[in-house]
Amino acid sequence: MLIFTLRRLSLFIFTMLLLTLLSFSLSFLFPGDAVINLSGAINATPSQLAQLNENYQTGSNIFVQYFAYLQHIINGDLGLSMASQSVISHEIMNLLPATIELSLVALLIAMFAGIPLGFIAAINHNKPSDNIILSVSMLGYSVPVFWLGLLAILIFSINLGWLPSAGQISLLFEIELVTGIQFIDILLSDSPYKWQAFSDATAHIILPACVIAVAPATIFIRLARTSMIEVLNTSYIRAASAKGLSFQQIIFRHAIRNALIKIIRHVGLQFANLVTIAMVTEVIFSWPGIGRWLIVSIDQRDYTAIQSGLLVLSCFIFVVHILTDFIYAALNPLARGIKHGSR
Amino acid sequence: MNYLKTVIGVCFTLLLLSACNEEGKLSLSQRSVIYCSEGSPETFNPQLVTSGTTIDATSNQLYDRLIAYQGEKNELIPALAKSWHVTRDGKKITFYLRKDVTFHQTDYFTPSRLFNADDVIFSFNRIIGAEHPFHLTSGGHYPFFQNIGFNKLIDKIEKINDYTIRFHLARADSTFLANLATDFAVIISAEYGQKLAKNNTKHNIDIMPIGTGPFKLKEYRVGSLIRFYRHEAYWQTPAQMEQLVFDITSSNTGRLTKLLAKECDVSSYPIAHEKITEHTDLTLESVTALNVGYFAFNTTKAPFDNVLVRQAISYAINKNVLLETIYQGHAEFANSILPNSSWAYDKNTKTQEFDLTKAQNLLAQAGYPDGFTMDLWAMPVQRPYNPNAINMAKLIQADLKKINIDVNIVSYEWNTFLHRLSLGEHQTFLLGWSADNPDPDNFFTPMLSCSATQTGSNRTFWCNQDYDELIQKALKTSNINKRKQYYAQAMDLISNEVPLIPIAHSKRYQARGKDIIGKIMAPFGGISFYQVGKSTINESSLNEKAQQDESITSEDIN
Amino acid sequence: MARDKIYLEEVFPSPFMQLWLAFRKTPVAMAGFSCFIFLIILAIFGPVLAPHSPIEGQLDMPLLPPAWHANGDVSYLLGTDELGRDMLSRLMYGTSLTFGLSFIVVIISLVVGVIIGSLSALTTGIKSSFLNHFLDVILSIPSLLLAIIIVAILGPGIDNTVWAVVMVLIPQFIHITRYAVKEEFRKDYVLASRLDGASPFRILYYSIFPNIVDRIMGQATLAQSAAILDIATLGFLGLGAQIPLPEWGATLANGLDLFYIAPWTVYLPGLAILFAVVVTNLVGEGIRHALKLRKDL
Repeated sequence: MLIFTLRRLSLFIFTMLLLTLLSFSLSFLFPGDAVINLSGAINATPSQLAQLNENYQTGSNIFVQYFAYLQHIINGDLGLSMASQSVISHEIMNLLPATIELSLVALLIAMFAGIPLGFIAAINHNKPSDNIILSVSMLGYSVPVFWLGLLAILIFSINLGWLPSAGQISLLFEIELVTGIQFIDILLSDSPYKWQAFSDATAHIILPACVIAVAPATIFIRLARTSMIEVLNTSYIRAASAKGLSFQQIIFRHAIRNALIKIIRHVGLQFANLVTIAMVTEVIFSWPGIGRWLIVSIDQRDYTAIQSGLLVLSCFIFVVHILTDFIYAALNPLARGIKHGSR
Repeated sequence: MNYLKTVIGVCFTLLLLSACNEEGKLSLSQRSVIYCSEGSPETFNPQLVTSGTTIDATSNQLYDRLIAYQGEKNELIPALAKSWHVTRDGKKITFYLRKDVTFHQTDYFTPSRLFNADDVIFSFNRIIGAEHPFHLTSGGHYPFFQNIGFNKLIDKIEKINDYTIRFHLARADSTFLANLATDFAVIISAEYGQKLAKNNTKHNIDIMPIGTGPFKLKEYRVGSLIRFYRHEAYWQTPAQMEQLVFDITSSNTGRLTKLLAKECDVSSYPIAHEKITEHTDLTLESVTALNVGYFAFNTTKAPFDNVLVRQAISYAINKNVLLETIYQGHAEFANSILPNSSWAYDKNTKTQEFDLTKAQNLLAQAGYPDGFTMDLWAMPVQRPYNPNAINMAKLIQADLKKINIDVNIVSYEWNTFLHRLSLGEHQTFLLGWSADNPDPDNFFTPMLSCSATQTGSNRTFWCNQDYDELIQKALKTSNINKRKQYYAQAMDLISNEVPLIPIAHSKRYQARGKDIIGKIMAPFGGISFYQVGKSTINESSLNEKAQQDESITSEDIN
Repeated sequence: MARDKIYLEEVFPSPFMQLWLAFRKTPVAMAGFSCFIFLIILAIFGPVLAPHSPIEGQLDMPLLPPAWHANGDVSYLLGTDELGRDMLSRLMYGTSLTFGLSFIVVIISLVVGVIIGSLSALTTGIKSSFLNHFLDVILSIPSLLLAIIIVAILGPGIDNTVWAVVMVLIPQFIHITRYAVKEEFRKDYVLASRLDGASPFRILYYSIFPNIVDRIMGQATLAQSAAILDIATLGFLGLGAQIPLPEWGATLANGLDLFYIAPWTVYLPGLAILFAVVVTNLVGEGIRHALKLRKDL
């Protein structure tokens, strides 16, 4: 496990270096002065500018500049937004949790809907129900998410009036921002309407989370289906059925567990995909997350915000990757061994 | 199947929760109103801006003025001043102030005294006095007051006693009282200013506002929401609603969706009017707003420094199609910058008709027989005077193509757009003007006078001495007929010189749920939620009566 | 199948032909394939066939509903938008933008990716390891996010979108080619021609490419569906095609304001995107299915 951890750690450091390097080079690729792109101080007076130049070491060679930039990042200084002149790290701290919350809920929905469906398809391999599930899943990953979101709003919010169409919670409820994750904030707040706020927030998250979940769910269906088919073809399953275990016992005691292990690996990979889908969905459902903020920033050519937003978002995706690798390794000792042995 | 049980369990709990939710929320939502607004305010002090979005969010919610407008004839009525007196020469104006007015008590400030003359002097000196400690806080720009030459007009403001105040004017000005009643001339707290100055946090005066208005600021999240609480100790009867929330939704469809999904009670600038009137539980209402949407030239840039080119283009634009397509017929044809409903409007004002041959001839005369290429800046947001500038630009593009002028459409984010316009980077642009008070001068001076080229509200940079002289003369007299004559001449001058092509005077629209009662919009200036209340369904007959009492024309079909 | 053969020599179809023979057997895949061909034809000839201009509208006929509505007009089969532009023509032009461009994008990135991929397959040691890590990093970033990053750098616009998607797809092709080439290199027949003294490039060209072309095709269809969705999504977010280009995603975004009064301006472009992606995926599924059949034989 130690070697495994070290390997992950080295990959993490390598990636972080690559990402910060990319983000650092963005400030030169974007139009305008690199220091202003990095700091976002568009209205800086000459003296402030001189101070910034010194902070970012623009006089020195490119490596020194890069390390000055790294220092700023490690200190949590991502500069000011060019559009609103607000502190970007604060904004991101407020926005990222909302995206995480939405993505996690969507991931759960995708898993709880996709994996069982995939298993059902595998058990009924080459039967009509398998084909139906497969065709539906194909539609699911072909549909453009923004269109799906619009249709969902039209049907469920406007025509049926079941679920709200925009935002995290009805604005009537006054919930203080503490963690940024709405559900936790509600529980922490001392609002007299705590439980109403909680259920209102639940109602708000269902529609966007379901829309986001559609594409990953179809992928889980396919993953679950293939891995279940593989498992069902193994000899230990045949041995179990030869032993006289009923079909249900085989499925629930043996097959599901082994099939699940293979899927877990992909959950992390899917999470990255899901965050991207969430970015687009946030725009449609006016979800106050980092995706919507980033897209607005691109529209406004707010280079400082784009640069920091991308850095934070991609770091976040990587952290998730590595975390799932760890979870997978913890659940499945084989993985550690193979990784180690293959070296 | 363990997790299936969990899923069912969770669903069940949620159902239960949402069931008990309905009752509790009813009481909260009965006491609050949510307004879907179209943009974020730039500041919370209306003295500093002319933008309608900011005025909507601040002026009538957070503040009061010395005097106010009332009724269809826009008579001046007392507000913070219970009465006033103007001397015969029109140069000394005395206000007698109310003695029972309290400022907001909020998380960040607790007033220790009532409103008095010091606050009035503090508020107005901030605008006119360069030595005032707060004059330069937030940039030192007071565009509305600079446009009307406020600092040159006022000699001094004299405190007679704690509740009496006298303005000494340099010359008589027929619009002075009207200007004091605008949304910009708000009263801010001197005591709060002193406290901030002591704590060295002066800039907070415009970010965390303290006023005397019916609502006080509770919370502001940029680009997301503004939350107001009722000012319980308001000097009039307190507002009906305990909580007022501005849900900032810049997307037009987003606002409509929220309105249809009942996520907001009132929506600004609704689109798809047919859809709203289709719904029996929604009302579409409009006021004939004093505004003008126009297509204007940067008259300092070639080829638009040539009056013949400007005239040619004004002949080539088919305004009737613009009115039909962009305003969907909900606007009046604009002959000049002044709306027909203003008393100063002259019926004989001539207008350029749509005539392509004339346009071509003029263009040839000007030396551009083969046309040219130009940039057209279209504003990115929906305003009452122009619901969709980008589409209007496309139509104008098609029109001008016919006289061989190629048009590039340019657009920026709203604040950038305004900033770049004031720098004069543009060739031509689409914009408009909404009046702040019913006085006709409010159109002539800020839009086209020479002084307005410096303050940035005259983006045509057209500066004509004759025109300036005419509007100055009109200001100095209080004889209505004479003023009317001067303004008629000024309008003539505009239609000959064509610094801009007026397109339409539109109505301002707003949509609301049927259960929201009380007047919100006024023909000019910002909205006010002071009189807004919520009725239960049983009270809908009362509701209808209330609607009739108002001057608002309801366009509801059923 | 009756064959008039004089010599009793067994004919071995090339791997590509084998794929096609297996592919032909699935009717659904064939249906998808014919639709795919139809879209390609439309992308090429759409601008010629379109009955109206996609950019200049009939201003006197705004928001006409599709022809099957009571007040529709047959000459505007799918209705018009707010500027009186014919939706059918806009969609047809859009085919060449969204679908046609995505096809070109895939071809470009395929060529570049395969070249780099096969060259890199021949490298070993630290270079290879670095490339491995680098590809891992790039591939783990979702393609849309990467495209958004690149558009953010280059600035919005249809041409920049195309470059962004090309750059996003190239690593995927590099990865699959590299993997496939390495795998083939281990096989005996390659060893045989190596022993014959063939240079690596000769082996690549004559021995390996014919055997991996089917896998690259499979990847190409995946890339194509991703490219369509990416171009459309960027267009929808206002980062791709700019007004007045009738790119499907941009057309849809343009229709947003009219969603409630003229829903067809949103439904139709959405359906067009869905159709194109489903068709591409059907072809892809067909190829993968055929591959599996061939392997199972």
